[in-house]
Amino acid sequence: MTQSPARARPARSVLAGIAAFGALGGYVLVSSVGLGLWTSLGPGPGLFPFAMGAVLALMSVLWLLQELKRPSAAGEKADGGLVLAVVVSLLLLAALLDLLGFQLSMFLFLMYHLKIRGKRSWLSALLTALAGSVGAFYAFNYGLNVALPVSSIPVLNLIGL
Amino acid sequence: MDTLNELLNGFAAALTWQNLIFAFLGCLLGTVIGVLPGIGPVAGVALLIPLTLNMDPTGSIIMLCAIFYGTAYGGTITSVLLNTPGEAASAITTIDGHAMTKMGKAGAALTIAAIGSFVGGTIATLGLVAAAKPLGELGLLVGPPEFFALMVVGISLLVALAGKSMVKALISGALGLLISMVGIDPVAGAPRFTFGMDRLLDGVSFVAVIVGVFGLSEILSYRKGESTVVHAPGFRSLLPTGKEWRRSAPSMARGTGIGFGLGLIPGMTGSVASLLSYGAEKKFSKYRNELGKGAVEGVAGPETANNAHANAALIPLFTLGIPASPTIAVLMGAFLQQGLTPGPTLFTEHSEIAWAIIASLFIGNLLLVLLNVPLVGLWTSILRVPAPILTALILLFMVIGAYTINFSVFDVFVMIGFGLLGLALRHLEIPLAPMVLTLVLGPLMERSLRESLEISQGDFSIFLNRPISAVLIALGLLIICSPLLKLRKPKALTDDPET
Repeated sequence: MTQSPARARPARSVLAGIAAFGALGGYVLVSSVGLGLWTSLGPGPGLFPFAMGAVLALMSVLWLLQELKRPSAAGEKADGGLVLAVVVSLLLLAALLDLLGFQLSMFLFLMYHLKIRGKRSWLSALLTALAGSVGAFYAFNYGLNVALPVSSIPVLNLIGL
Repeated sequence: MDTLNELLNGFAAALTWQNLIFAFLGCLLGTVIGVLPGIGPVAGVALLIPLTLNMDPTGSIIMLCAIFYGTAYGGTITSVLLNTPGEAASAITTIDGHAMTKMGKAGAALTIAAIGSFVGGTIATLGLVAAAKPLGELGLLVGPPEFFALMVVGISLLVALAGKSMVKALISGALGLLISMVGIDPVAGAPRFTFGMDRLLDGVSFVAVIVGVFGLSEILSYRKGESTVVHAPGFRSLLPTGKEWRRSAPSMARGTGIGFGLGLIPGMTGSVASLLSYGAEKKFSKYRNELGKGAVEGVAGPETANNAHANAALIPLFTLGIPASPTIAVLMGAFLQQGLTPGPTLFTEHSEIAWAIIASLFIGNLLLVLLNVPLVGLWTSILRVPAPILTALILLFMVIGAYTINFSVFDVFVMIGFGLLGLALRHLEIPLAPMVLTLVLGPLMERSLRESLEISQGDFSIFLNRPISAVLIALGLLIICSPLLKLRKPKALTDDPET
């Protein structure tokens, strides 16, 4: 990691990361005790997670000390617009997969990424989206015997979607 | 003689037309994954596991192994032609490989790389054949304490070698172990970290986690203006000259030795093998002054080394059940999904499957040479597909991969969540490799720890009273404490892009 001599304090995102891992370690430590560290038969279900929680908490403290001593430059920022577009479209796709079925929901998902975000021509977007939705559905269902979801809406189901 | 007979039986099984098709498809898909810069071998293999779920175990593992070493071949093509490594282990090849392209010798560079990969891969597979029986028998003598200690060494090595900060590598390792513990506790039957959700009782889908952390996070971390669209140059002849062949031979020999040796050590990746091989060429090659300016040794050595590594890394997996690198850990996950436990018992319980897979490695290496050299033009044309189409299609396969593992939309949400986690880990420069390894090894590690403590009735000294486990635990501690002892890592390991 490159050091930044100009920055005296650790980056905010790094501190947030350390806090998150520290909190997770603390949570695991507490819940492992609840699971039982030791039983009459030997080690309990909480023993191994307890050790991992301890490692996580301890490493977070060490990381914080390292950062306070010598702050590191935060990693490069991702393209927020891209992250939002991909994550929200994936969440919508997952939410609609069982309702609209694979073919229709994947077609809409691909059209969004190809036509609206990717600015492909109508023909190229339509052909790729159809191949990726209807084509993939039939290839997986009949070629590989892997069933992709069909729509739970009777009308759509009736027309093969 | 027994080994030879079993290998011949393995060939008989691997040469059935179904298994040949699986090996061929695996090589094809592996090459495509290797060519695509956005998707590495770890996510690539994980993504394609669902395709193999309905196959018989032999065909499925043959295909996934072919995908695994196919990526090593595919990565070379873009390194040589486009100066863009398709996967990390081929990064060093860009230096001399692309310089050769500029000199009009791209065909020769690709042929040398393919033949070197074939030589390295085949010799390493011969090593696997020779080591399988004796190491497997040795493995059967290993009890839970030794097995636990062996895994401690493996994880310690990967943690110590991953990235630049051991603190961050340990966080990654602990995170993987914690994720592997979600679900019903295998001994007491108590639910752990399920937050009252029935869907988590069986644990978190391994494929969804890997595809999210490695694949989706890679797409999410694309920056503005980054594009995978490139234009491949044409090239004149595929065949190297007699002089180039003669110059390559010693480099291939050195590359095989380095790749094979490193493949046996957990924590060493293909990138380390190719980097160290390039270093060896700089030191020992007769033509070292030409390195960096289009010397064929700079292609032959590293490319042989990374393929020898890929095949040799299967030795600890097949004989001891220890995955030596992140991609092998994913492969191990695929074995487990198929009800096969890699390790010494593989040769006693599923001997025919194990030998068929080993035989298929020879066939796959040959198929890759036949497939790659004449079809180089076709592979590079994949990169001319516009970036939005490639990204959309990769996302499509990710969704199908995550969904079909349990036929559940829940796993798609898991993949999205872990994609965001992967993005955060990348931003914080936390290495991803230890997490994959501990994710796969977690349940096995916990089981052997608990079995050991049950044997000793809770006495932790069992790990120190048995000589093999005592030595291994001491070794693990030494590795973890190496920063305190001021032991320095070689530069090749610090710069390893795979971790």
